[in-house]
Amino acid sequence: MKPFDIVIVGGGGAGLYAAMEAMKTNPALNIAVLSKVYPNRSHTSAAQGGANAALGNKAKDDTIEMHIFDTIKGSDYLADQDAVEVLCSEAPKIIRELENIGTPWSRLDDNTIAQRPFGGAGRPRCCYCADKTGHTILQTLYEQCLRKGVIFFNEYFALNLAVNGSRSRGLIAMNMKSGRVEAFPAKTVIFATGGYAKMYWNRSSNAAGNTGDGQAIAYRAGIPMKDMEFVQFHPTGLRKSGLLVTEGARGEGGYLINKDGERFMARYAKEKMELGPRDLVSRSIETEILEGRGFESPAGKYVHLDLRHLGADLIKSRLPQIREMSLNFEGVDPIEEPIPVRPTAHYSMGGIDTDNFGRTVMDGVYAAGECACVSVHGANRLGGNSLLDILVFGRIAGHTAAEEAGKFEPGTISEEEIRVSAEELRHRMQPSGHYERYGALREELGQTLALNAGIFRESSLLHKGIEDIAELKERFKKVRVFDSSDVFNTNLMQVLELKNMLDLAETVAVGALAREESRGSHTRIDFPVRDDEKWHKHTLATLVDGKVLPGEKPVTMGRYELQERTY
Amino acid sequence: MNFRKELINHSLMTETIDQHQEGKRDVTFRVFRFNPQVDSKPYFDDYTISAERGITVLRSLNYIKEHVDATLSFRAFCQAGICGSCGMRVNGISKLACTSQVWEELDKCREPGIIKVEPLRSLPMIKDLIVDMDPLVDKMKRYSNWINSTMPLAEMGKKEFLVSEEEFHRYDKATDCILCASCVSECSILRANKEYVSPAVLLKSYRMNVDSRDSIHDVRLAELVKDHGVWDCTHCYRCQESCVKSIPIMEAIHAIREDALECRGPKDTSGAKHAEAFMEDIEKKGKLVEATLPIRTNGMVWTLRNLLPMAMKMIVKRRTPPPPPLVKSSKGIKIFRAMFREMTEHVKQDHQKSHKK
Repeated sequence: MKPFDIVIVGGGGAGLYAAMEAMKTNPALNIAVLSKVYPNRSHTSAAQGGANAALGNKAKDDTIEMHIFDTIKGSDYLADQDAVEVLCSEAPKIIRELENIGTPWSRLDDNTIAQRPFGGAGRPRCCYCADKTGHTILQTLYEQCLRKGVIFFNEYFALNLAVNGSRSRGLIAMNMKSGRVEAFPAKTVIFATGGYAKMYWNRSSNAAGNTGDGQAIAYRAGIPMKDMEFVQFHPTGLRKSGLLVTEGARGEGGYLINKDGERFMARYAKEKMELGPRDLVSRSIETEILEGRGFESPAGKYVHLDLRHLGADLIKSRLPQIREMSLNFEGVDPIEEPIPVRPTAHYSMGGIDTDNFGRTVMDGVYAAGECACVSVHGANRLGGNSLLDILVFGRIAGHTAAEEAGKFEPGTISEEEIRVSAEELRHRMQPSGHYERYGALREELGQTLALNAGIFRESSLLHKGIEDIAELKERFKKVRVFDSSDVFNTNLMQVLELKNMLDLAETVAVGALAREESRGSHTRIDFPVRDDEKWHKHTLATLVDGKVLPGEKPVTMGRYELQERTY
Repeated sequence: MNFRKELINHSLMTETIDQHQEGKRDVTFRVFRFNPQVDSKPYFDDYTISAERGITVLRSLNYIKEHVDATLSFRAFCQAGICGSCGMRVNGISKLACTSQVWEELDKCREPGIIKVEPLRSLPMIKDLIVDMDPLVDKMKRYSNWINSTMPLAEMGKKEFLVSEEEFHRYDKATDCILCASCVSECSILRANKEYVSPAVLLKSYRMNVDSRDSIHDVRLAELVKDHGVWDCTHCYRCQESCVKSIPIMEAIHAIREDALECRGPKDTSGAKHAEAFMEDIEKKGKLVEATLPIRTNGMVWTLRNLLPMAMKMIVKRRTPPPPPLVKSSKGIKIFRAMFREMTEHVKQDHQKSHKK
């Protein structure tokens, strides 16, 4: 295949924006987007809330400066302040650009883009389109990419990078429709494959495919991961599926009830009760369950989110989506019964270590979006900043790669390399004696992570988690692919995804064990306070000789001094 | 609001639900199987599992894949009804597997206890429940399903367009579309003609055409009125009935047609001429003058060339429609005409209101 100037892995918000911007920067470049799903299926579509930008449409006195401060404070001072400045300064421009190319933003009375208040933000600066913001942004970007004739390789599963020392020569991927392993020699590769929170499996709100493929490929190629221990939990996920029940349910006055019938939030946040900040409510629910006051079911322990006292009319008029979800995924009508909920892994702050231009340590490899860690979210991401992150840094990565592609020689990938990759796949499909079920391993991985590297962490738990993961990795060697077909082998794909999750899970647990403090989403029972002296720094995880090599990196400070994070 | 009122089966709700032992029901999934590498033709496999209340069709398929048959192939991604990956036919109706309740489906089975699961129709088969979405993407390209912004490139990102809430509501519902292709699968035209534009693409075209930020309304419309375009729809409403997001797709299709008649005139294409001839007959006689309809729609040459053999056969079988002079006006035609005029006047006014550009 003719070498590409840029190969983008992932067709969500970050990948599509990168493609658009790269074409704009240099229309002569040969650019391809690879995605394991049709781009419009990407998980960007699930973001409901909106994207922050200090447009000042709703609150005239809002400023970029305030947005920067809110983001840094929200990150528990772990975000790099220069990166946050880029994020927030670019925000108004990027939201307007999206508006200019057709995103159907909701509107204010003066016909400008609507904005609403969001957790942790000092002003109403979250731009939205009803409750489908991510969906409409993704559609707009996909439409524009079709308009510009971006070359898509849809339903291609990325396998590995072809590397020469410190430089990439391109990517090897499997065409799902034919099962063929194909080479994508390229001057530059941009990873934009989304987050890794699905490793918590049915304790995660993520799509089935958010398995950290890009991170795992980069990690195996020797590129460091950053701040992997930071995973954000949302307090109210549905018991069976982990899907989110949005904050609106508590906003309208829903109660959280344990099996003794108590409104237990009284114990943790007397005044705010159910409306305390996300991390506090998550920890409270988890405590109730751990101390035996949760309900039990085959699908796991849980508490009740009770809306019945709000009445049928209010539930139908203000919370129709929540009622529909509850009916669809739990078979429970909140008008008549409480909804079974428990905290659910929701967003991964960590990812591929990049600079403010999307560059990784490897020449020709870039990353953007939830897949990358710049870092703008630090130890905790603010609502409305995730969509913004993928747009701003997707665009920057696309621009950088387009500018720098000329610096690199066109890569080549040999037939032998392709054959080796294909052989590895074929090997998995050979029948053997004793075998393991990938489904069981996947579930066990989620369980051990939720239990030992979840909301509450502690030295002995994390050691247990690391042991479990090592054991699962060993058992994984015996996982067998039963589907021997070349055509659309989803069995094989799910096994490969499991491998990616197992590799990354280790970095999460190792990072969590190393970080002996509590900061943002990371809560250590044995180290309950933030320790700026020892731990005001990023953790790195690099794969060396098959083992995680822990490292660290200083946090870039700026105008804002360390302060206690209180709301 | 997009909400199904009859979502709960009340007889099931009255059962006492113990939190440890929720009710379970045995369900057989009769699933369409086809692997082009080994199968010469498709067949069905039966999988019987025990399904608890609240379980979805997708979760059941996941269970079968993990525990019973790993070769069963289907697409799934968000599992929450927003990505559109798991469109398939459940008990004959195209829908999302992830938002379909097994216990509800049990009440709709043709054979008791057996839920039939098949791939979407009108798209090329790949394997089992997986169909090829590329034809749909190709059509989105052909009909320019994107905004070609009136904002000059150099000005991009510097200022907002001002868009009224009223305009936003014109395309709000249409932008709910997740391209799950349920409408594509249910569309009766597509089943006969794969080249037909398809409901999802018409909906998207409508959404672009009513957006004041767009500059290629006329180009898009010119493509839409060609063969296999907007005039081919037969108003069967199946797209709208099956839409998983309850989008009024037919309203969008009607709006494109009205727009076409207004912008391009009634003599534009055979579709427009057909609509015009139809209206003329109804206004004049209250019924159709079928004998001359093809001539007025497609012209004398086309009619002679294409319909003469059929006309001959009809004459032989004495099935010809009556010639125009013999088509008598319907009873009460005067009152009807008055009503008809009033109605068309209303439509015209509404139209002018919503299309002030």
